[in-house]
Amino acid sequence: MGEMLTGAQILCRELAAAGIDTIFGYPGGAIMPFYHALPEFPGLRHILVRHEQAAAHAADGYARATGRVGVCVATSGPGATNLVTGLATAHMDSSPVLAITGQVSRPMIGRDAFQETDVIGLTLPITKYSRLVPDITQLAASVREAIAIATEGRPGPVVLDVPKDVQNQKLAYEPGPRGGAPGLAARGQSGNGGAPTSASLEESVREAARLIGEASRPLLMIGHGVILGNAYDEVRALAEKTGIPVITTLLGISAFPESHPLHLGMPGMHGEVHVNRAIQHADLIVGIGLRFDDRVTGNTAAFAPRAKIVHVELDRAEIGKNVKTAVGIVGDARTVASLLTDQVRARNCDDWMAEIRGFVRPRAESFSGDLSPEAILASIHEITGGRCTIVTDVGQHQMWVAKHYPYERANTHITSGGLGTMGFAVPAAMGVHLARPSETVWAISGDGGFQMNMAEMATMVQEGLSVKMAIFNNGYLGMVRQWQQFFHEKRYSCTPIWSPDYVKLADAYGIPGWRVEQRTQLDDVVRAASVHRGPALVEFVIAQEANVFPMIPPGGSLSEPIEAAPAGAPAV
Amino acid sequence: MGASHAVAVLLDDDLVTFNRVVGVVRRRNLPITGIAVGPSHMTGVSRLTFFTEADDAAADRLVRQLEKTFGVRAAALYRADDAVVREVALIKLRALPAARADLLAALSAAGATLVAERDGTCIVEIAGESARTDACLQALDRFGILEVARSGAVALQGLDGAGSPPPSTTLSAPHSSEVTL
Repeated sequence: MGEMLTGAQILCRELAAAGIDTIFGYPGGAIMPFYHALPEFPGLRHILVRHEQAAAHAADGYARATGRVGVCVATSGPGATNLVTGLATAHMDSSPVLAITGQVSRPMIGRDAFQETDVIGLTLPITKYSRLVPDITQLAASVREAIAIATEGRPGPVVLDVPKDVQNQKLAYEPGPRGGAPGLAARGQSGNGGAPTSASLEESVREAARLIGEASRPLLMIGHGVILGNAYDEVRALAEKTGIPVITTLLGISAFPESHPLHLGMPGMHGEVHVNRAIQHADLIVGIGLRFDDRVTGNTAAFAPRAKIVHVELDRAEIGKNVKTAVGIVGDARTVASLLTDQVRARNCDDWMAEIRGFVRPRAESFSGDLSPEAILASIHEITGGRCTIVTDVGQHQMWVAKHYPYERANTHITSGGLGTMGFAVPAAMGVHLARPSETVWAISGDGGFQMNMAEMATMVQEGLSVKMAIFNNGYLGMVRQWQQFFHEKRYSCTPIWSPDYVKLADAYGIPGWRVEQRTQLDDVVRAASVHRGPALVEFVIAQEANVFPMIPPGGSLSEPIEAAPAGAPAV
Repeated sequence: MGASHAVAVLLDDDLVTFNRVVGVVRRRNLPITGIAVGPSHMTGVSRLTFFTEADDAAADRLVRQLEKTFGVRAAALYRADDAVVREVALIKLRALPAARADLLAALSAAGATLVAERDGTCIVEIAGESARTDACLQALDRFGILEVARSGAVALQGLDGAGSPPPSTTLSAPHSSEVTL
């Protein structure tokens, strides 16, 4: 006979037993039994956020930085609905997040009770799995199952909706087996149960190796799957044995050292001209752990017109989804890259590399004034000695960081790629900081995105989270303004955005804040913020109409980049 | 019904999984006809069948997404012209005594069966290809149809393999060792 525990205690037990050490959350009516039990589990550190969206982003940041599940907790109704954007963000970027939501007691479900929302219905299309726990007898197994589903195969967010009366139910608790129920890995995963036999895997790897041997203009294009699959060494070995130039997608940034002679850069909408031209001239693209997103391919009909595509993906449903593939290999990046490296014969691509170097254009002048985003990023890199994780928001600054920050260490670039969630950086950086407490974490946002979740500064102060916040302030929703400049007759509709005095704001929160307007102030401020023990804020005032160049127009071909602002646009 | 493909899905026998599966289809805005769900050959596993008009590639992408949906055991795609497709319909209609002989003759000609009759109203049943139901409805129209309930068609892959099967029917699916479609 096991110990008599409440559902809430069982929840905490199971989380602790799964190795969870940090929970981001916000209490409320339907989750109160959980919060009542929580103090009995000092191993579960709770971070009280200021809005549940931040809890989901922070759990996501924690998950991306550790590779382990990140946990967020909210009450029913508005608490749960506030998680939705964070869950959708995690879903698009394959991040293992477990959301536990309180639900009204079972007899009240379906009666439009106070703070009742159909959370399962709301989250069905934006989670890998979601479940209402119908009874305490199923609670422990549900937690184990949820964690297993979130982390196994292609990771993703899961929701457990736990009615308040289930949290209060009592049960003689027997700890269950670790690691989930048998056979779980095969469910909800097209990559596992649907994986080809080892014979067919071998055959497709051999075919891919043959294509690599025959190609004269091959490219490696690597994505988030290389980071999720911890395949850095294997991918690098493959690149070095074959001499194939390496392209990193937005979420593949920091999967390959940027100082490496084979590294080319980021492709797609804001990719460098030589990277996109290389794609258009390539005769073979070996894509590993990416999904050929439209921001990468532009118009798919015009994408890589000369190239055969080998697509290595854990999720079989991705192969052939966006681009036509010559060889699809279902498997994790690490295993397949290693098999490929064994199969390919050593070669080099020196002529091809020389041809690509010929594509390099001098960078278009995009900044006026001496405080360029490039200078700011160089300063952060230099002062932290590169021992730093950068978390970015969404917009122009995100692209500047992606293009200019010289990433050397694995998984040090964290951003909202697929969903493009403004407001992500500040809360996600809290999760990254807790995952990497000994490292400097910079959350870089624009003035728009920062204002979406800046209330989390209070969380940082209360919980002692040493996150460095950089605001690239140009007084505009800059990326939207850039689109208006290029494609909407320079009509800056609703994009100028007012900001508070950020230095005073920092002061109000009791944290140091600086405003940097001149290049000469830059290094001193970045150094002071970096070494400060605790959260710190720096506002960088940059040119108002700075643009991200080059740019492939939405739906356009990678062959036709915009490299300067259109001259013909009428003045406002 | 203008559908090019039948999609058959084996899924856990619960409403959340059903909801999840329908959601995968719904968000792609593919035109759907005749969705049907009922028990399969396995305990606790339902079989869901629907028909869609899509090119092979789009239909195949849909099946791939269905396969990875939690609670789905297997999903398969059949070309509509290479599948055995059947449905059941119940038709309630007027059966006035004066027209009874005429009605029985019409039912016999259409291959329908009289399953209930009372106070000048009857219920008939017809099973078979959807075209047969359509023809039956047309033949019975003159008696005065009051209500129609069609089950939505179910499908199995045909046995003679006319035309080559689309790729996803030849690939193994999750839990392929336990599940066949």
